[in-house]
Amino acid sequence: MSSDQDHLKETDTEARFEFKKEQNAAVKSDKGLTEEVIRMISEDKDEPEWMLERRLRALKQYHNMPMPSDWPGMPDLSQLDVEEIIPYIRPDVDKREGVDDWTELPDEIKDTFDKLGIPEAEKNALSGVGAQYESEVVYQNMQEQWEEKGVIFMNMDRAVQEHPELVKEHFMTTCVPPSDNKFAALHGAVWSGGSFVYVPEGVTVEMPVQAYFRMNSEGMGQFEHTLIIAEEGSEVHYIEGCSAPKYGTHNLHSGGVEVFVGEDAHVQYSTVQNWSKNTFNLNTKRAICEENGTMEWVSGSMGSKATMLYPCTILKGRGATDTHITIAFAGEGQDIDTGAKVYHNAPDTSSTIESKSISKDGGRTNYRGLVHIADGAENSSTAVECDALMFDNESTSDTMPYMEIEESKVDVAHEATVGKIGDEDIFYLQSRGLDDDDAKKMIVAGFIEPITEELPIEYAVELNRLIELEMEGSLG
Amino acid sequence: MSAGTQVHANLTEAQVREISEGLDEPDWLTETRLEALAALEDLDMPDVIRTPGRDWTNLHELDFESLVDPLNAAEDKDQVGPEDAEVLPWAEAVQEHEELLKEHFGSIVDPQENYLTALSTALFSTGTVIYVPEGVDAEDVTVRTEQNSRSLFNYTLVVTEESSSVTILERQSTGAEQDEQYYSGIVEVAAGENSYVQYGSLQNLSEEAYNFTVKRGVADTYATIDWIEGNLGTQLTKTEVSTTLSGDSSETQIVGAFYGHNDQHFDLDAKVWHRAEHTTADLVTRGVTDDVARSVYEGVQDVGKDAWDTSSYQRENTLMLSDESEADASPKLIINNHDTEASHSATVGQIDQEDLLYMTSRGVNPRAARNMLVEGFFVPVLEEIDVDELRDDLQELIGARLRQRE
Repeated sequence: MSSDQDHLKETDTEARFEFKKEQNAAVKSDKGLTEEVIRMISEDKDEPEWMLERRLRALKQYHNMPMPSDWPGMPDLSQLDVEEIIPYIRPDVDKREGVDDWTELPDEIKDTFDKLGIPEAEKNALSGVGAQYESEVVYQNMQEQWEEKGVIFMNMDRAVQEHPELVKEHFMTTCVPPSDNKFAALHGAVWSGGSFVYVPEGVTVEMPVQAYFRMNSEGMGQFEHTLIIAEEGSEVHYIEGCSAPKYGTHNLHSGGVEVFVGEDAHVQYSTVQNWSKNTFNLNTKRAICEENGTMEWVSGSMGSKATMLYPCTILKGRGATDTHITIAFAGEGQDIDTGAKVYHNAPDTSSTIESKSISKDGGRTNYRGLVHIADGAENSSTAVECDALMFDNESTSDTMPYMEIEESKVDVAHEATVGKIGDEDIFYLQSRGLDDDDAKKMIVAGFIEPITEELPIEYAVELNRLIELEMEGSLG
Repeated sequence: MSAGTQVHANLTEAQVREISEGLDEPDWLTETRLEALAALEDLDMPDVIRTPGRDWTNLHELDFESLVDPLNAAEDKDQVGPEDAEVLPWAEAVQEHEELLKEHFGSIVDPQENYLTALSTALFSTGTVIYVPEGVDAEDVTVRTEQNSRSLFNYTLVVTEESSSVTILERQSTGAEQDEQYYSGIVEVAAGENSYVQYGSLQNLSEEAYNFTVKRGVADTYATIDWIEGNLGTQLTKTEVSTTLSGDSSETQIVGAFYGHNDQHFDLDAKVWHRAEHTTADLVTRGVTDDVARSVYEGVQDVGKDAWDTSSYQRENTLMLSDESEADASPKLIINNHDTEASHSATVGQIDQEDLLYMTSRGVNPRAARNMLVEGFFVPVLEEIDVDELRDDLQELIGARLRQRE
């Protein structure tokens, strides 16, 4: 990569001026999406030929696909210029695949994660933490007891090297092919980092597996890929947290999540995301659920300028179950367009979707959902419930569910309500001695409780704290 | 304009002029028609629900060129009402109420909103104007249209002055059976201050027919517009019923009932736009799909920024009687004012097996039990209908359709 090396030197100099925080990137790509950039990423990762081919094919698909444009009320993406995004930055960490010991991390990275409380979470006897900084996973740990049972939890890039057969079979093939949508194609071309989780047959991972993603550089894109394979009868809970500071130019986060839920397996996937308010957050998350498998999505969407995220479950095997619990919070200038997609493709499948949203200071939330019940998916049932809470008249809240029902022996229900904070509730709390702000906070805490009670305590606390900060308007 | 719908290729200015002259229309109206004709080239089909990779209703598939026969419209029409209100055939309204038409025609439904509204505006040859003067209570206005030609374009305008009221029953049916027909109707309702309009419609065209209808009303201060929408006929219906609540304290109710069997396709929209303070909307739709029929329902409750103290409710329930039928629903809430109580719900299901068991265990034969349960399913909708004749007719048509079933 001699010619690439030359250009990297240049960008390195540039980087010193660009970065808000003093930081040395070991490798930083050009802006925009060209074959050279893709080849450079792949080469830097020392990837096998087949992965490079997949990237290049995805890049072609990306260029051939139109931007989504004809969705009613979709967020404004006009300020997103993918050609101005730097798709790849590898921080200066000695071992590319991450380090085993937290203390070996460069100080600036350690500081950031310290502030976010990640080491604490790990110290508190959690099974494993993966931390991604920019495009690379810099820290990864997995408790030995799980390793002995054959559980794999590692950085996705390393998985390509060490578990090529598993990755080859599952990576953006049947679950989220790049052809799925423009941003899935983009992701397929430039993906970097993320988590690989493999749980063998019958193994229950009792502690949640965690990863934290942090974007620090201005104008970069983060494209981490998460692949979870839960074999027959296994059980795992994966949690990711995401954040980025605010900069003047726009960041792009376009992650890809693929979950394979085997027969009788149970996977819970929890996200608390708090991207900076200049980030476009455009993800594709999908699970395929085999017979009697259970998929649970729990997500808290705070932050970002615009989010378009509709975690999807395909209930492929008889008796498979899906649960979605989501909360969205949109403050000033934010457009959080999120929801859930469920395909009932087998008999006796069931799904429940519970969506809560809060909008404040001109923010917009939208629930956009699709429930599809295929012909032959008899005795399937689905229940969708959306509640929106609005704080003021500058805010907007929409609900756009779609229900495609091709089978008669089903039970389908959708319900949505929108309302302002009840004056009576506030009055009641005030008469008990709380001031207006505290009363509102308490009502919101009660409103989102169904979400927080699904999360481990650290995340529930973090979510509550984030919402409290939003309510005070003190989060930049 | 997407490829495939080339109806305007065989339409000419001369045809439009001939229709307009035949009705002795003033120049401005002829011009409006000609402009609509000219706009066809650039206009697209009305919006339909789309999800990635899928149009829920494909209007481009229709062969408009063979369906539309502009100079051969034939109908059998009844336009009656009480003496103190005016119920006028179009040609008469043009002579007697030109100012009224100038004020309202095309003001609520933009003639160039889409390809089908423009086509309707250019080619309509029949219509009714219902004018209710201040303080008049007009009951039992009936507009019955029997289509006896390949295509028929119908226009209806309702204007109610302050503190008046009117109940209207409109029916569309097919006369001597045609192979394939196209019926297009535009209805504009301007409800004056404190007036009340109930507009009931029963569409029972032949099952070979295609139907495109837009019914839209604007309610002034304290006015109420109630719509009742019964859809039984046609092989494909694309219809929208909507109200703009533009005056403070105005209200609307949209009640829908449909029953699709064989290979019928119903694309039904119910929409309300809250644009003033203290407005109330209630949308209730119930329908049945049987055989390989397909229903597509889109309900919109849009609360504008200035619509303080809004109440808005929507319910949609579909009963699927066969496994091959499809029922799609998308009830949308768009809320821009936080001083709002809004909710919507939609359900799809089949006949409750426990109810059926209960009835059969009491000695009712299974077929009768099923029919009773379906008829019972429509009761909440039927109860909302003020006009006895409409309620009875709808009930009878539902009953007859059920009895046709094996």
